[in-house]
Amino acid sequence: MATLTRLWLRWPRGLALGWLAVVVLVAALAPYLPLPYAPAVPDLACVAQPPLGPGAHWLGTNPQGQDVLSNLVFGARTAVVLTVPAAVLAALLGAVLGGAAGFWGNAGRVPAAGGLLAGGAAWWALGGPAAGWALAVAAVGAVGCVAAARGHVRGLPTWPVPLDAVVVSTAAAVDTVPRLVLVVALAAVAQVSLPGLLLVLVLTSWPHPARLVRAQMLQVRALPFVEAARAAGLPAGRVWLRHALPHAVQPLRTALPLSIAGLLALESTLSFLGIGLPPDTASWGRLLASAREAPSAWWVFLFPGACLALTVLSLSALASQNHAPTRKA
Amino acid sequence: MKPCFSVILLFGTTLFLLFQGCTARRTDSASIRVRWAHDPETIDPLQLTNQMALDAASLLHLSLMQIDLSTGEFAAALVEGPPTTRLLGDSLMQLSYRLRPGAQWDGGLPVLASDVAFTLRLMFCPGLPNETPRLRFNFIRRLIPDPADPRHFKLECRGQSPEYVQASGDFFILSEAALDPQHSLRRFSLADLQARPVSATPDTALEAVGRRYRNMPPDQLPGCGPYRLAAWEKDRYLTFRRKPRWWADRLRAAPFVLRARPVQLDFLIIPDATTASLALQRGELDVFPQVPAREFARLRTLPAAKAALAFYSRASYDVVTVAFNTRRPALADALTRRALSRCFDAAGLLQATQLGEGQRSVGIISPTDRRYYNDSLAPVPFDPAGAAALLHQAGWQRAADQSRGWFRPGPHGEREALQLRVRYRANESMFATIALQFQAAAAGLGIAVALQPTESGVLSETLRQGDFDLCIRTLKGNPFMFNFMPLLHSHAVGAGNITGFGTPASDRLLEAMEAANLPVHKAVLLRRFQAMMQTEAPMIPLFFLPTRIAADRRLRGLHVSGLKPGYTAAGIERLPTASVP
Amino acid sequence: MVRTALAVLVLASGLFLLSRADTDTALRLALPNAPDYGGRASASLAQEAAAQTALRQRLGLHLPLFYIGRGVGPASHAVRWQWHGTANQYHLWAGRLLHGDLGTSFRTGAAVAPRLRAALAITLPLTGTAAVLAVVLAFALAQRLAARPRWHAAVRAALAAVQAMPLFMVSLLLLLVFANPEVLAWFPAYGLAQLTATGAAAVGQYLARLVLPIAALTLTALPELTLQLEAALARELRTDYATTARAKGLAESAIIRHHALRNALLPTLTQLVELLPALVAGAVVVEVVFALPGTGRLLAEASAARDYPVLLGGVLLVGAVRSFALLLADLLYFWADPRIRWQP
Repeated sequence: MATLTRLWLRWPRGLALGWLAVVVLVAALAPYLPLPYAPAVPDLACVAQPPLGPGAHWLGTNPQGQDVLSNLVFGARTAVVLTVPAAVLAALLGAVLGGAAGFWGNAGRVPAAGGLLAGGAAWWALGGPAAGWALAVAAVGAVGCVAAARGHVRGLPTWPVPLDAVVVSTAAAVDTVPRLVLVVALAAVAQVSLPGLLLVLVLTSWPHPARLVRAQMLQVRALPFVEAARAAGLPAGRVWLRHALPHAVQPLRTALPLSIAGLLALESTLSFLGIGLPPDTASWGRLLASAREAPSAWWVFLFPGACLALTVLSLSALASQNHAPTRKA
Repeated sequence: MKPCFSVILLFGTTLFLLFQGCTARRTDSASIRVRWAHDPETIDPLQLTNQMALDAASLLHLSLMQIDLSTGEFAAALVEGPPTTRLLGDSLMQLSYRLRPGAQWDGGLPVLASDVAFTLRLMFCPGLPNETPRLRFNFIRRLIPDPADPRHFKLECRGQSPEYVQASGDFFILSEAALDPQHSLRRFSLADLQARPVSATPDTALEAVGRRYRNMPPDQLPGCGPYRLAAWEKDRYLTFRRKPRWWADRLRAAPFVLRARPVQLDFLIIPDATTASLALQRGELDVFPQVPAREFARLRTLPAAKAALAFYSRASYDVVTVAFNTRRPALADALTRRALSRCFDAAGLLQATQLGEGQRSVGIISPTDRRYYNDSLAPVPFDPAGAAALLHQAGWQRAADQSRGWFRPGPHGEREALQLRVRYRANESMFATIALQFQAAAAGLGIAVALQPTESGVLSETLRQGDFDLCIRTLKGNPFMFNFMPLLHSHAVGAGNITGFGTPASDRLLEAMEAANLPVHKAVLLRRFQAMMQTEAPMIPLFFLPTRIAADRRLRGLHVSGLKPGYTAAGIERLPTASVP
Repeated sequence: MVRTALAVLVLASGLFLLSRADTDTALRLALPNAPDYGGRASASLAQEAAAQTALRQRLGLHLPLFYIGRGVGPASHAVRWQWHGTANQYHLWAGRLLHGDLGTSFRTGAAVAPRLRAALAITLPLTGTAAVLAVVLAFALAQRLAARPRWHAAVRAALAAVQAMPLFMVSLLLLLVFANPEVLAWFPAYGLAQLTATGAAAVGQYLARLVLPIAALTLTALPELTLQLEAALARELRTDYATTARAKGLAESAIIRHHALRNALLPTLTQLVELLPALVAGAVVVEVVFALPGTGRLLAEASAARDYPVLLGGVLLVGAVRSFALLLADLLYFWADPRIRWQP
């Protein structure tokens, strides 16, 4: 019975991992696979053709004449290239911001000299009025920074930095409007291309990991080993980076697959709506959108739909398997 | 389980009501229901931005002359007959019109020359959304009324182009009594209003008239047309009801343009073509204009649809063209443009997007126009090898490693690269197919092409600024006017001439074409023009689109024609089922 | 809630400033773009420029953008920051906003607020019904599932499969199966064009039009709610008080309904808070697929057509819905958990 239970636990996870491995492999090898047609090339003679028809279109063509199989393969590539970096970058950004906010709270302080330097330099660079005075202020700040670094003067004034309040408010602000609405609105303002879409996705996805890491950090910073490290005299930054943060990012292990799944769904929705990627970039969502033009072409809906659903399902299975199993026989 | 029971009850009621709704089959509705693809947004006669708005306004208002779809010519609507022309000197022209004696507004007041004068003044009144009429009717210098006859007037035009004759009658007349009862606009002459600078101090009278016009709801703007707007639900439907006592009913021999048969016209706004086709099959829709090619072909094969519907297909005057931005150094010479024109598989695209309906053409003049079409020229073939040869002839060399593309030395010694950006309106699958095919053919030659589908609002601005290399668009035409100056003249660069093309020879040819009076002379000039276009290739015609309409079999009087909108809404009548063969 | 409102305002202001950087598109929108080569007299460039300036004045785009901005100084020719005072576009916009005037659409010239209201009249029944239906069904289904009947694993697998499909896929599937003339044309799929308004038939038509969109929204919202609630219920059923109740002889369903449900609600309330804004966002996709003229489609079309006033109005509206949802969640927490009531 114990063996069966173990197999039962491993079986969905194995399937999920296998499917994801297939997707990633196909995405990596896409340019080298011997596909009869390129994804964006319309075959004008075989428009909206069922699978296994004449012309070596094994999975048929969509109403634009594009081969469904090559669009699936290159769509996998687009999905992997877009969503995985976006999720990882969002997780990184969220971890850094959330970790910092959780560790220092509102009690962080920054030396006033550094603030003067940065503020003065920025004012001068932007060309504000009385730029000469700004340059003088920056010079004073630079002198102060150098003095503090050399250790000549102690007890220089510091300015408080309410990091926690800022990060939480920004996260709340970004989270106010649903992500789809926000991206649709931003797409109107900016011309979105692949790197632009990546940036927009990262900027709208970081609040969730930030909240998770912040909550975990609030617990971690109260742990004895952190206190010991601080008592040993290590600088606060080092304690944060090398000791506290690795433990605070634990929740991200389950959050990352879910975040990739969410981004995949979002990217497909955007391609469906026609926002985001250029039209010659293959994408599962764009293929599904072309199914609307020819409702009788079931193959244009079935294959990309199955791929999308299976991928999201596998990612969700991965995430839920990371939890302690609560299954009862 | 109480929650389950209430849910089951809810579902049961829903199903019952659904049956009531779903069993609506071919209803014999008294109104004619036509499908529109999107909302007209505004039916203000001064601000008609799309074809639907124009259709709606032509039901509510009348102009001096209107297009008669049964003959395909301009016919007199509010006036008694075509204008008499008199040339003054070498720069002015007077067109003399006389309004019909029976024409009246709804309240009984007659339509007079003062209404025409008021409408012209309103077109140049500041503070109104009249930017388009300003551009179109700037050639009218003044209206000269006849003191002896309030219905007779003369329009004085700047210039003597024969196109002005038809253009001068093509605006909807508005009622002065309803919009300006104090006649405050009469103080200003038309020339004053036309020349009035934007920064002039605002005048209270003008502002009052402007405010009154802007605040008038669309269904209350008085018009002398046969219908009134009964209901308008944005993005859902518009309903027009026939006026019970319309002045043109009393005319003994009403011309075609003054006949209005349906008692009620409903325009249903159904954006998706597939669902519109479903509504047509179910009998919830009567007329479906602009059917997409595949849907049309599919409906013709269904037996139920074949029995209940009639299908019409005519050649229209809309041509799909690709325009080159000749201001770009890479596209400045004709050889390169001719080479690229051989990368378009127009015949294949015609087959793929229009299923073979429609026609190829050598120029932007329709092949159905026997008088003016140059049939001694051949359409450009799909010939990538020939394109490569022409590129070599133009001085382009392929880089050593084939993937880097084509280069040639520029006039100032720098290296020009052949990299193209194609713009077209987004959400149009036909343009997308054309762009993708060109990209594939160019990739076969080693030319890098980037596709940029652009929203319609942004598209016109980017075209005017010249922020494109190629542009795929549909040019709408008509058989009357062959004035291509706004499109290809060098003076129009920055306005309608997006290609930036203009040589002294082509300018002279265009000016001669505009001034030509006799059809024979015009035919010679137009043939020369088409030959020049094929040699210089600032824009390539791909094919002319057909216009396809599917309608209820029992409808008569549609008068399907290639001219926009393709059918005459006001002429439709429904025959009783028994008399249909 | 105040913080959310402030966040929404900041977001809208940011979008406003970003959007006005693109004023030329607004000008192009108001002038028609149909290239008509026949029959139009060639307009001189001066006339075109004059028309553009008139339009700019009419739309209020000739004022400076913000209180301060970069511009060429009157005396020196260097680029420097200038104080523009209150005669700037942002101030005008903010002032009008406080009075409830959302401006006029660039596309039609009509006021934005009535357009949004008309679109809301379509979207609210849609999302409201979907929300209520999703909650009711989730509760019923979770309670049945928590009792571990035989079909428990199959239903959970089905829910997981539906959860994996994005909303647009579910809508497309419903459209292609139930509104397809070649498969099962049970439901009409086009937008609301009610003309035969006769009592029950009209209501029936209206409902028929909304069935598929509501089904799509409900199907997408259902799995997460159900699975979450079911997991919470399962956790509650393993506690001591549940064992006591079972020992007392209560049926499993009675334990779930009377004891475990109330305690399992709390984590689900967070999900409910997310539900309303998610449905508003989901309405974007559903309305585009089923061609309903609601706020979602209005937003998508305004985004595509760069109709910034409508877009900003829509974003503000969605933010308002979010604030309302948060308030509702607070009230629900207050009602559901007596411990919160008694906290100092």
